[in-house]
Amino acid sequence: MALGRDAGYLPLREYAAIGDGRTLAFVSSDGSLEWLCLPDLDSPSIFAAVLDNERGGSFSFAPEAPFDSERRYLPDTNVLETTFKTATGSVRVTDAMLLPDNGLVPSRELARRVEGLSGEVLMHWRVEPQFHYGEKTSQIGHRGGTPVATAGGDALAVSSWAAGAPVLGDGSISGSFVATAEAEALVVLSSAHREPLILPSRAEAESRLSSTIAFWREWSAGRTYEGPWRDAVIRSALVLKLLIHSPSGAIAAAGTASLPEQVGGERNWDYRFCWVRDSALTLHALMRLGCPHEGESYFWWLLHASQLTHPRLRVLYRLNGGERTPESTLPLSGYRDSGPVRIGNAAGGQEQLDVYGDLMQTAWLYATAADSLDSDTARRLVEIADLVCEIWRRPDSGIWEVRSEPLHFTHSKIMCWIALDRAVRLAERGLIPRAHMSRWSAEAEEVRRFIEERCWSEEAGSYTRSAGSRELDASLLLGALMGYPSERDPGLSTTISALRRDLGSGPLLDRYSGEDGLEGNEGAFLCCSFWLADALARAGRIDEATELMEQLLELANDVGLYAEEIDQGSGAFLGNLPQGLIHLALINAAVSIGEARRS
Amino acid sequence: MSVWGAVAGGFIGTLVLTTALSAASELGLTRMDLPFLLGTIVSSDRSRAKALGYAMHFAIGLLFALVYLGIFAAIGHSGWLLGGLFGLVHGLFAGTALVTVLLPVIHPRMGTPFSAAADRPLLEAPGFMMLNYGRRTPLATILAHIAYGTIVGGFISLAS
Repeated sequence: MALGRDAGYLPLREYAAIGDGRTLAFVSSDGSLEWLCLPDLDSPSIFAAVLDNERGGSFSFAPEAPFDSERRYLPDTNVLETTFKTATGSVRVTDAMLLPDNGLVPSRELARRVEGLSGEVLMHWRVEPQFHYGEKTSQIGHRGGTPVATAGGDALAVSSWAAGAPVLGDGSISGSFVATAEAEALVVLSSAHREPLILPSRAEAESRLSSTIAFWREWSAGRTYEGPWRDAVIRSALVLKLLIHSPSGAIAAAGTASLPEQVGGERNWDYRFCWVRDSALTLHALMRLGCPHEGESYFWWLLHASQLTHPRLRVLYRLNGGERTPESTLPLSGYRDSGPVRIGNAAGGQEQLDVYGDLMQTAWLYATAADSLDSDTARRLVEIADLVCEIWRRPDSGIWEVRSEPLHFTHSKIMCWIALDRAVRLAERGLIPRAHMSRWSAEAEEVRRFIEERCWSEEAGSYTRSAGSRELDASLLLGALMGYPSERDPGLSTTISALRRDLGSGPLLDRYSGEDGLEGNEGAFLCCSFWLADALARAGRIDEATELMEQLLELANDVGLYAEEIDQGSGAFLGNLPQGLIHLALINAAVSIGEARRS
Repeated sequence: MSVWGAVAGGFIGTLVLTTALSAASELGLTRMDLPFLLGTIVSSDRSRAKALGYAMHFAIGLLFALVYLGIFAAIGHSGWLLGGLFGLVHGLFAGTALVTVLLPVIHPRMGTPFSAAADRPLLEAPGFMMLNYGRRTPLATILAHIAYGTIVGGFISLAS
């Protein structure tokens, strides 16, 4: 059932994502498309009403009369189907971003098909593009009878069939028609960026809609996972596939920018970049699901993107491999007036030591699966391990990218240990040169001693957020998932218990206690809860892990998506969505629980 | 002007061009790696791709030197300065059409701006002037090609 809007905004739970591997669009439960960047996910938006319902731009498509709505993804696809029920009849709207075929196709193409199911329903649609985050004025006109909106080097054609005569307004293109069971209506947006528009025929667009549905089903059928919660795992895999930037193989952290972690607060960040941190979890999840091609593409992209700064790693890279992600603010009001609306991400310039552990763990997973590494990659891994020996003693900004003073974060030290440990293991297997192995071993032991002596609290019975602190941090779970502490270490179970006690609220966990340099609070970080379920399974607490997993799956929205955070009180989604890290964590937790049950 | 002058110039010029781009990569100026890009057309094994890519790049370097020779013969002039000018045009052509547009079309493992969910490229597309490979890539590429053209022009002129 569609919820009413509050000051023009819907709860973030009410959005579903569709995409084509280059960009993605948000569709609300009341039929409005309110987020779309073109031509790529990290390009400027053309629809951003979710960030400013007056100036952001949208593509609404719904009955004129009051309605209830239900929706779902077509099984095993990223194609959305919304059914609207009114007093006079019901209709079904199918939304998809179309995948190209072998013909001459638009650069990007989005289709909305309407089928009457019963009775007669007066439908209204309105395309109101706002190019370049609403900063460029749209020119509306015709090209060969097709309504077109243009701004600078960008153009959007609005082709419609059996959807009423298009009406060109001041900055908008709209239409109305009566939907019946006798005729299907179709509206297709096709875009061009610095090239001529390609205007599809109805038959071509319909054909691509069918082949798009077929592709997603075929891709889902190729996933090898047969463990528990298969539907949620496959949905998460489909979400990850949406976030994979097909032109490069990079994986975006989330599909949106600046959706707030606290409504009305300042914690609004752009997540349309690829974080090195997610790499190990990503590769692990892709391999566990039987996605060898996506995993290989991602590893190649990671090596290529990090080449310029080698052996140092940046925290995040652009989807095209670029390293510059300057942060700026947009003149948009923000979701429910949650400003500033930021694009770019200043965290890219921070020093975060944990990324070296993530990269080495990724290389370990890749190399052991392939049982080989080429000499160039091996040389680079040696140089990265050598660098870790030099820098692990420094304080850093940590996994959560705090904007307060750098600290000796425990998770960062753990990941430095992981980096050196994996280097030793790779050398022992003969996958990288062994010349520096004794140095890596000695430094790894030094890191371990630092963690055990300075990052453990007897009082809490837990590892702590940072050296000498009493604060706790859920990122410690991530270290445990990569092997520190080991599954046999009693410190793992006591740390899990301490985190649940101090940071937990039901199935939810706060990220950390203590200072982070920002005003206000945030919701519970959902991926931490999935890490907790994963860690519980590894610690042998399988019943607890299963119970927690069941609770967490209940927190998804009606189509199985998660935002970055969730409000502990109301259950409202907060932050960017869909967030890859959560869906990765869901996949890995489900697989770990399945493996723990079998063993 | 002689074919052997072009062959010698093409060989030395390609050697210098490849070494200059490799040095630029090591210095963190660019992620551009022409032998790697060419070699991955025929192999997904990174080491083998680089070795094959070097051979392919030298073959292409010799071919372009013969094209330079043909143009020099057609206009009746040659020399290192004219060769440098040809190298500049050659570098711009490589950055705007050859590597940016044509290579992704024939490269089975390279993404393009049109790659979608059904595609699984291993290599990111270079983008306009190969800027996806680093902001200084156009500068490094053009300077390396000017060096190539200067050497080819000089050798052809010397062999006259």
